[in-house]
Amino acid sequence: MIPAAAPRTVAIALLRFAIWIAPHDTLDWGHAMLNELSHVEGNWSALIWSLGGAGVLAKHAVLAFLFPGPDRRTVSTASELFAKESPMRKTTLAVIASCVAASLLFFLVPVFRQAFQVSLAQWHDVLHVKSQISFAGPDTDPELDALAKKAEQNHDAEALAFVAVRHPNEAERVRLADEAVHLDPNLTWVYAVNGAVELTSNGTERLSTLQQWDPQNALPHLLAAQKIGVTVTHSKEFPLGKVEESPAWEAEMAAAFQSPKLDTYLDRQKQLDHRVLSRYHLDDPFQAASDENWYGFPSYGVSYCYLYAQSLLQSGQALESRGDRKAAFEKYSEVARFGELMRADDELTFFMNRPLKEAYSRLGALSRTEGNEAAAAFEGALADGVDKTAEREHALLQSRFSGSEVSHWNAFLVRLSGLSILLCAVLLLLCALGVVIRNRSLRLGSLLPSRLTLTLGFAAAVGALLASAVLFVSYRPYAKLLQRFLSKGDDAHLPELSAFLRDARLPLGSQFHLGPESWYVGAWQIVFYFWLVLTISCVIALAIAIFRHYQMRPRPAASA
Amino acid sequence: MKPPRLSPQTLRVLERFIERPTAWRYGYELSRETGLKSGTLYPILMRLAKYSLLETKWVTTEDGVPPRHTYRLTPDGAAFVRSALPATRAGLKVRRVAFSGGRA
Repeated sequence: MIPAAAPRTVAIALLRFAIWIAPHDTLDWGHAMLNELSHVEGNWSALIWSLGGAGVLAKHAVLAFLFPGPDRRTVSTASELFAKESPMRKTTLAVIASCVAASLLFFLVPVFRQAFQVSLAQWHDVLHVKSQISFAGPDTDPELDALAKKAEQNHDAEALAFVAVRHPNEAERVRLADEAVHLDPNLTWVYAVNGAVELTSNGTERLSTLQQWDPQNALPHLLAAQKIGVTVTHSKEFPLGKVEESPAWEAEMAAAFQSPKLDTYLDRQKQLDHRVLSRYHLDDPFQAASDENWYGFPSYGVSYCYLYAQSLLQSGQALESRGDRKAAFEKYSEVARFGELMRADDELTFFMNRPLKEAYSRLGALSRTEGNEAAAAFEGALADGVDKTAEREHALLQSRFSGSEVSHWNAFLVRLSGLSILLCAVLLLLCALGVVIRNRSLRLGSLLPSRLTLTLGFAAAVGALLASAVLFVSYRPYAKLLQRFLSKGDDAHLPELSAFLRDARLPLGSQFHLGPESWYVGAWQIVFYFWLVLTISCVIALAIAIFRHYQMRPRPAASA
Repeated sequence: MKPPRLSPQTLRVLERFIERPTAWRYGYELSRETGLKSGTLYPILMRLAKYSLLETKWVTTEDGVPPRHTYRLTPDGAAFVRSALPATRAGLKVRRVAFSGGRA
């Protein structure tokens, strides 16, 4: 319950504060309103009285700041100033200085520097408007270029592979991958991960190198199938698409489906990342845990696998109808076997569930036809198992890509606090600049801030300190996850860190949500509105500056 | 100096002053009589004082109570109100008639 006298207490405090920020020529009026307060009947009426009065004084304070007219008297000498409000002003200046110093002290902590770096990532899209328009990223990365140079000097194949996976320039990626493989042939898998096969026209040579290096793996065949490509037609009969006849493509897909293993090289890459990051003492979380660095699987691989599995199931059905149950069994088994290979990979399992279930169901039906009830029951159970695990896998995949609510919130806080720190810093600089311009001097002794400047500076300093503390607290758990990966190679929580970093990269205001009701507020709209608001603000500031210039210009004295 | 714009609220304040031109008035008293909130009343008083139509004075009423700011019309202010008030009232009346469809 609110104490009866509380509104009156608030009213007095509010008016006192308004008087404090009010320009000199309105002080009498401020005190008039304050003194009249003790005659106002009723505590709530007093508060309403105070709100009105404070509004009037605040308006005059803002006007005095924007348009310091000739009749607005400012405090001109230190003696006049400190005779009246020395303690208050000195205390405020001390608080401002302490808050700024404390905020700067945060930068001595490495975790905070990292957090600040992450909070700045949201500006990447805003400042690289060209890449937003052309959908092409920057062509160079100074940090990666420096690392590549160092790696070349040291003949460090692993570091070259590390950069080859991340470099924004395609030609450079391929060159560095070639160099890494030349130094250490055990790194040939880099060709599959960094797009050296997919992106370049002369990738066939590298593809055959990869196939020779890892002949048991299905992945090089999937890459080859992707390179060949295939036409897919959609019809009522085949709503999900039907592949046009292409013997070369089918041969590669058949080889992939018959391969004894499917390795996306993701584990090798994580281990290599860990070693290189530790070796070069790199602690950039985006280099360590960003999803963008992990291709894992050729982009068309999943859909090609699905389409080829469907075509195998159809041809198996056709063989079955012709009475060739043995050949049909082979086709269904091929789908089931490759489906299980894909299920072994956490990220790929979801995409083959449907053909896998169908393959098991048909295998069960075939076994039943042949009177093998035990096999039929087993295959039926496997088909049911696919359904049961699909839901769990879907939830896992969703959390893998969309991250937890906690991560969303932390990413939001990191972006907000980073932005607040920048805004507070700009405001503090403007206040300092305003004081220098107002006093037309750089001597500390003669720099006397107005009350409004002092209030703004105080708010900015306290804001910067609070935002620094929030940034530090919000980011700290993720710094620990990163540290665990860098020091021990523990990658169990990297998906959480990746989801957090993915959110942290989006400009504040843009967000996506993966789930039953997916939505996305694009970064492009935010970038557009950011520049629009900035341009309008600059125009307004320019107009005010011109107005003030003409207002304050000394006028020639009238001739007698 | 050009006299201030006479809004209906300013007129209400001036009417109160002209009722007793020599009397000193308190801000809260004026607020109650005119029904204007402090956020409206004080800018009017400040404007009138700026144009020297109003004079202000601090008065101490009783022990322990802060001094109060009081206001009254200056001779110029009283003359201005006497000359301007009837004309402005007439203007307002004409406007009211126009907006009420001919009914005064």
